[in-house]
Amino acid sequence: MARFLIRRLVLLVAVLFAVTFLGFSAMNFLGDPLFNVVGLMAELDCEGIEAGTVEDTSMDRARSDCETVAAARAEYHLDRPVPVRYVLWVSDLATGDFGTSFQNDQPVSEIIREKLPETLILLVMAQIVSLGVAIPWGVFAAYRANRAFDRTSTVVSFGLLSVPNFALAVVLLYLLALRWQVFPSAYESDTAVGLVFSMILPAVTLGLPLAASYQRLLRTDLITTLQEDFVHMARAKGLPPMRIMFRHALRPSMFSVVTVFGVSTGAMIGGSLVVEQIFGIPGIGREIVTAVVRDDFPVVLAIVMLVACAFVIINFMVDLLYGWLDPRVRAR
Amino acid sequence: MAAEATPAPAPLLSVRDLHVRFPTERGTVNAVNGVSFDLYEGRTLAIVGESGSGKSVTAKTLMNLLPRTALVGGDVIYDDQDVRALAAAGTKHFFGVQMTMVFQDPMTSLNPVKKVGEQIAETLRYHLGRSRGEAWDEAEDLLSQVGMPEPARRVSQYPHELSGGLRQRVVIAMALACRPRLLIADEPTTAVDVTVQKHLLDLLDELRRDRGMSMILITHDLGVAHGRADDVAVMYAGRIVETADARTLFFDMRHPYTEALLRSIPRIEDPVKHRLDPIPGRPPELVSPPDACAFAPRCIYAQAGCLDGVPELSGLVGLHRFACLNPTGTERGADALAANRAAGTTAAGLALPAAQAGTG
Repeated sequence: MARFLIRRLVLLVAVLFAVTFLGFSAMNFLGDPLFNVVGLMAELDCEGIEAGTVEDTSMDRARSDCETVAAARAEYHLDRPVPVRYVLWVSDLATGDFGTSFQNDQPVSEIIREKLPETLILLVMAQIVSLGVAIPWGVFAAYRANRAFDRTSTVVSFGLLSVPNFALAVVLLYLLALRWQVFPSAYESDTAVGLVFSMILPAVTLGLPLAASYQRLLRTDLITTLQEDFVHMARAKGLPPMRIMFRHALRPSMFSVVTVFGVSTGAMIGGSLVVEQIFGIPGIGREIVTAVVRDDFPVVLAIVMLVACAFVIINFMVDLLYGWLDPRVRAR
Repeated sequence: MAAEATPAPAPLLSVRDLHVRFPTERGTVNAVNGVSFDLYEGRTLAIVGESGSGKSVTAKTLMNLLPRTALVGGDVIYDDQDVRALAAAGTKHFFGVQMTMVFQDPMTSLNPVKKVGEQIAETLRYHLGRSRGEAWDEAEDLLSQVGMPEPARRVSQYPHELSGGLRQRVVIAMALACRPRLLIADEPTTAVDVTVQKHLLDLLDELRRDRGMSMILITHDLGVAHGRADDVAVMYAGRIVETADARTLFFDMRHPYTEALLRSIPRIEDPVKHRLDPIPGRPPELVSPPDACAFAPRCIYAQAGCLDGVPELSGLVGLHRFACLNPTGTERGADALAANRAAGTTAAGLALPAAQAGTG
């Protein structure tokens, strides 16, 4: 088990290195890094302004812009050679310093700290919804494979998978928030309970299509597992069918679901933007749209890094989960 | 015999006219066609046959393990209870407690993600209501009963940490946990090393005797049945073609298939360069069986009569019964074989070179 952990950790570090390297390259080698960070202000001839040789229409504005540019140079170590810059930048990241958004003079880490919890709550709730729906659904479909329930659920799950989530969101909003008024139609953050309650519809919007895909995977894997001798053995031992399903067949059938769970969780951090937009949730998904529109490179970069790292860390946890699911993985 | 002094006891398990059919895309597979037998308390019945003879399907039918699509007919009576009705009603604590089964492949019949102790303790907890701790201790005890070395350590190991032979011991411990009265062992040693086979068979036999348990031993190997079974039923193409007590079956068999099976086993007394006599041809398709003796195409005794209608199993259940028109060891059989040898072919068209005369 210890060796398994160490191997996974080494892999984790290697992937994180690759991710940071790519992010760093994007900022430093795709065009002028200074321009990437501060935008048009990079065009200013600050040395000229400083020396008074360049006249500008509003010198005060130009001077303050030049201060911003100087701050950006320092922040991103732009005066240093590229390798040093990389090392300094990564160590900044490691200490939680993601730089500053020079578009609105706010530290990026602050932006993330503000927006991330909303996205995380949404994500956790969506996964609870999806697993909570998918596991009983998949188990029952596999138990009565190719019978009426299973056939109907195949149609339903393909329906859910093919409906784009903005359409599902609109339908849910119309029915549950406007017509029957069970849930609020928009984000509330006054109380913790209200917050969770207002997140139910968005979580269902994200969770249902996921539940459909988990259900497909779980059903298929379960049907295979149910052919196994050890399931026959469990039946010969006289255990009742549902006990066999949950105690014997479910765990060895969770691999595909767990794999997709890892990938989808990572993807949801930055990918829930449509749902966040529709329900007015101030999360990471919405923030990245705003940042891209405003050419706010530091924010975009930070979110991309965040999503990439989340991917890696979640899949690291998924690997640990494999070990829990199947003791043979640990031995390998 | 001693049985005649006391009133004859009812059989523990009584199977009558069992039929199993599987609808498939190629047509209906007639896997079991009218199997009947009795098994008395404390006895071992060996069901012997090639793959596809219906022996495993018979076992699975008894245990209610067939897929839902299977069509089953006939009666299975266990201790005056209708087993198929019990199964249909979902009766708790019957399978696994009264009768249970050991499967062929110990590599796949244990759940890979559960400790072996858990898998044994599980039945004790479910059927007998043992607490977690009690069940765990009993599991360890059962492991030592099946000859598991270091049971205290093994009980908390996973199946992949054990060898095939040890795993089969776990399976046996699991099956015996609730002290069943009937154990069905479906090729229990086919998948393990030959060196381990004998140990396991002897262990099963010993446990059966100690516990006064009855056993159905399913095997393709007559050698496995020899010395361990009280009665033997030979199955071919979904039917019992010959059944008798073990002694009669081995030394005074009547069915040419039984004879051929025995001949295909290598024996230690055989000369070194001795050729085994394989049975020519392959077992028949079970989709649309011809109305004839299923073994006739492979039988050196086959006469025209063998191709006209399926021979009935002679006699009463419990006696030496065989389904053959030209039985080996009888005058009729000897005449049939001589006629075929003279013609160089059987009525079913199997070539029979005269040079093979030595095997008669």
